[in-house]
Amino acid sequence: MATRPIIAEEVPAARVRGGDAPPGEPRRIGYVYLIPALLIFGAFTLVPLLHAVWLSFFQWDGITAGKWVGLGNYGDVFSDPVQRKAFGHALLLIVFYALLPTAIGLLLAGVVARTHVRGFTFFRVVLFLPQVVALVVVAVMWRMIYDPNDGPINEALRAVGLGGLAKSWLGDFGVALPAVGLIGTWVMYGLCMVLLTAGVQKIPRSLYDAARVDGAGPVREFVAVTLPALRGEIAVALTLCTIQALRNFDIIYNTTKGGPGDATSVPAYQVYQRAFETGQVGSAAAMGLTLAVVIFLLSTAINQIAERGSQR
Amino acid sequence: MGAVRFSEVRKSYGDHEVVHGLDLDIADGEFMVLVGPSGSGKTTALRMLAGLESITGGEIRIGDRVVNQVAPRERDIAMVFQDYALYPQMTVFDNLAFGLRRRKTPKGDIERRVREAAASLGLDPYLARKPGQLSGGQAQRVALGRALVRDPQVFLMDEPLSNLDAKLRTQTRGEIKRLQQDVRTTTVYVTHDQVEAMTMGDRIAVMNDGRLEQVGTPEELYERPANVFVGGFIGSPAMSFITAAAEAAPGGGTRLRAGEVDLVLPGVEGLPSEVAVGVRPECARIWDPSHPTMAGPVAGEVSFVEALGRETFVGVHVGEDRRVVVHHDGRSALLPGDRVEFGVLPGALRFFDAQSGQALAPASRVAA
Amino acid sequence: MTSRREQSFTYALLGVFSLIALLPIVGIVFTALQQKGGGASFGSFDGLHFDNFKRAWQDGNFGTYLKSSAIVAVSVVGISTVVSILAGYAFGMMRFRFAQPLFYIFLLGLMVPMEAMIVPLYYDLRDLELTDTYWALILPQAGTSIAFGTFWMRAFFRSVPPSLVEAARIDGASSWFTLWRVLLPLAKPAVLTMVVLLFMWTWNEFLLALVMVTDEGLRTAPLGLSFFVGRNQADLTLLAAGAVIVAFPVVVLYVFLQRHFIRGMVSGAVKG
Repeated sequence: MATRPIIAEEVPAARVRGGDAPPGEPRRIGYVYLIPALLIFGAFTLVPLLHAVWLSFFQWDGITAGKWVGLGNYGDVFSDPVQRKAFGHALLLIVFYALLPTAIGLLLAGVVARTHVRGFTFFRVVLFLPQVVALVVVAVMWRMIYDPNDGPINEALRAVGLGGLAKSWLGDFGVALPAVGLIGTWVMYGLCMVLLTAGVQKIPRSLYDAARVDGAGPVREFVAVTLPALRGEIAVALTLCTIQALRNFDIIYNTTKGGPGDATSVPAYQVYQRAFETGQVGSAAAMGLTLAVVIFLLSTAINQIAERGSQR
Repeated sequence: MGAVRFSEVRKSYGDHEVVHGLDLDIADGEFMVLVGPSGSGKTTALRMLAGLESITGGEIRIGDRVVNQVAPRERDIAMVFQDYALYPQMTVFDNLAFGLRRRKTPKGDIERRVREAAASLGLDPYLARKPGQLSGGQAQRVALGRALVRDPQVFLMDEPLSNLDAKLRTQTRGEIKRLQQDVRTTTVYVTHDQVEAMTMGDRIAVMNDGRLEQVGTPEELYERPANVFVGGFIGSPAMSFITAAAEAAPGGGTRLRAGEVDLVLPGVEGLPSEVAVGVRPECARIWDPSHPTMAGPVAGEVSFVEALGRETFVGVHVGEDRRVVVHHDGRSALLPGDRVEFGVLPGALRFFDAQSGQALAPASRVAA
Repeated sequence: MTSRREQSFTYALLGVFSLIALLPIVGIVFTALQQKGGGASFGSFDGLHFDNFKRAWQDGNFGTYLKSSAIVAVSVVGISTVVSILAGYAFGMMRFRFAQPLFYIFLLGLMVPMEAMIVPLYYDLRDLELTDTYWALILPQAGTSIAFGTFWMRAFFRSVPPSLVEAARIDGASSWFTLWRVLLPLAKPAVLTMVVLLFMWTWNEFLLALVMVTDEGLRTAPLGLSFFVGRNQADLTLLAAGAVIVAFPVVVLYVFLQRHFIRGMVSGAVKG
C-alpha cells in the first residue's frame, strides 16, 4: 500500500514545523482536542503526583503545620525496619503473584501449543474469571476458605487424617504471608495463561514441525521453540503481575490488615495506615512514591532483560 | 481552465530532497500519466498537487490559480486512491454523495449526480451495499464514481489499478480511458507500470529519482527516448544496451566493437568514440544474410527463450555480460545453451552517450 | 499429530486449573444460596435459598451500594470515553509540535499507581470540600481512566489507513466531522473494549472509596462489602450473598463480552 503514516514520531523532527504543514491538514487544532483530557488528567492525576512529591518532604500529621525534613522520609524508607520489612514482604509476594502464575501460564501455554484444544474458548473464559472479580470479593472468598474452623481447607485436611496440619492460615505468623501470596497466585495465573497462549498462537507451526522432524520430544520442543518465542509475552506477564504484587492493598486490608503483627505488612497498606491512622502523612507520601519508583524500575528491568535476550 | 502547471516544484523532507525542480505542463482535458519506478517522486508530485503534501519550493497552478497554500477541499480536485479509501460504514450511495453533501449541494442535485455517475459505472445494483460487500472491481468503480460525481477540474489517480487482478486491470484500463474521453476532465494518473502508461496516456511523463526524464506522447517516448533510462524503461521486453567503441568504417558507415561483437553499420555516421547502443527486440532478428539492411552477424549463446505463441523473444548472451533480446516471429526451435547468430537493423538502433546516457542523433540514411 | 496420551494430559491439565479457578467462586455462590443458620459450611450446596440476597440487599444496604457504584462507574466511563476519543484522535492522527512529550506525560500517568496519589488526592479534595461526594470518586478515576483511554484510542487511530482520512479531507470533511462520522463507526469494537475495561476497573476500585467516603449512603459496592464483613463476621450466608451481589454485574458483563475483556487486557498489556 503506497500510504503514508500521519504520526508525529515517524516523521523527522524538521517536518513538524508550522510552515511545513500541507494546507488543510489539522495541526494546531490538535491542542484543542487535547484540552479536556489535559484538564482532567492534569488536575486529578498529575497535580496530585506533584503534590505527593511536595508532601513527601515534610513531617505532617494532617492537621497541624508540617515540618520540613527534606529527604528524611526517603531515608526512613531504607533505614526504618518497619518500612524495610513491608518492602521485603512485597518483594516476596512477587514470587506468588508473578513467578508462580507465569510458570503455570507457561505450562498451560506449552501444552496448548502442541495440541489442538477443542472448546479452548470455554477454558479461557473460566481461567480468566478470577481477574474480573473485585479483590474485596476475592478476599471475602478466601477468608472463608482459609477459616480455621469451618474452612474447606482445614476440613479437607481433617477428613484425610492430616488434622495436625490444619492451622489458622491467615492468623499464623509463619504461613500468613504465603497464604496471602497464594490468593494472588489464584488471581493472576489466568491472566498469565491468556497472555502466553495468545503469544503461542503467533508461533508458526513450521517451527514445531521442524523440531519434531529433528526428533525433539515435548520438553525439548518447549525449551527450544516455545520459550524463546514467548520472550516478549513473558516479560509482559511478569511486569503486570509484579505491579499487582507491589500494589497489593485490597487483599491485605480485607484479610489480614497487615497482621498478625506485621507479618503481612506491605507498602500500600503502610501508606494507608500512615496517612489516615497514625498521622504520618509525609512518610506515607514518600512510601507511595517509592513504591511507584520501584514499580517503574522493576518493569524497566524486566523489559531490558527480555529485549537483551532476544538480540542474541 | 483545468490546466495544471508545475513550475520548479521541489519537495524535501528535512535535508533530504525527493523531488528536484519539476517543470511540467498539463493541458486542460489531457490524460497525463506520471510513470517511473518506486522512489521516483511521481506519487509525491501527485500528492503535492492534491494538497496532501506541502510544497517545499516552486509553484503548482490549477487553472490560473497558484494553489500552494490552498487546502485540498478548495482546489476543485478529486482523487482515486490505490486502496480506494471507501468510507467503510456507509453505503455506496452515501460514499458517492459524501463530497457533495460536505459542500452543501442541494439534495436534488446530489440525487441526480450520484445516480448519473452510478449509471455510467454500472453501479446501480450496488447503491445500497456497503464497501465490505463489494468485490475488488466494484470497489474500484465506486472509488472512480466518487471522483466522477464531484465534477472537478482535475482527476488525480494514484495507481488505482494495482490491487486488481491482471484481467480486470486490462479491462478497467479501457473503461477509465473511455470515461475520461467522455468527460474530458484533466487527469493526472500515476503508475509504475509502463504498459499502463503507454496504453492510457495522451502524454507520459517519465520520472526517475525525483527528476523528470522526459515528457511526450507514447510514440515520442518509444521512438525517440531522451536518454538511456527512458529507453530502458519504456517498451517490453526492455531495450538492451551494449556499450561499444565506435569508429568510422572504411567505405562508409560506422564500425562498432564491443568484446566479441564486431559490426559495421552502413549509413550510420557521426557517432562519438564510445556509445551505448540501444537495441529494441524487434530490431534484432535471427541472422538472415539475404536481408537488405541487416547488419551482423553477431554470435552468442541463448540464455532464455520466452515463447508467447505469436512471437518469441530470445535472450542471447554475447560475451561475458552483454545480453541482447532478439525477436522471432511465431515459434522458435531454439533452446537455452544453443549457439545462435543474429543481426540488427541499423536504422532502428538508438544511440546514447556512453557517459551521460543522453540520446544522440547520428545521421542515418538507412530505414529500419 | 500428537498422541492420544498428550491430548488427554492437556485436557486434564486445563481441567484441573479451570477447576481451581472456578471452585472458590462456585463455593461462594453456593454459600450464598444456603439456608441461614443451617450449619452448613463454605461451599456446600443445600438447595436454593434466595432470601439471603434479599436480606443483603435491604438490611445490608447493598441496593444503595450498587446504586452508588453504578453512578460512579457510568459517570467515569462516560466522561473518560468521550475525552479519550478526542485526545487519542489528536495524538494518533495529527502532527503538532509537542505531541511526543505530551503523550509521554499521559504514559507516565498510566504507570503511576493509585497508592502514590491517594494521599495528596485526599487532602486536596478535602480542601475543596469534595470528599464524601460522588465527585471525589469520579474525578480521580476519570483522570487515570483517561490516561489509559488516550493510549488505547491513539493505538486505534494509528491503525487506520491514512488514505481514508485523506479522502475525507479532499471531500471537504473537517477534522471533527471525520472523527465522528467517518472514523468512529470503525472504532466501535475498540471503544467497546475500552468501555468494558474501564467499567471493570472503576467498579472494582476499593482504596479510593475507602479513603474518600465515610457517608454510608455513598459507599460503593466493594467498600460496602468491606464494612459489611466487619459487622457480620458470623453470618456466613449473608456475607456470601453480599459478595456475590458486588461481583455480579462485572461477571455478567464479562460472560457476555469476554472476548472484549480478554482482548483488551492482552493488547493493552503489550505496552504495559
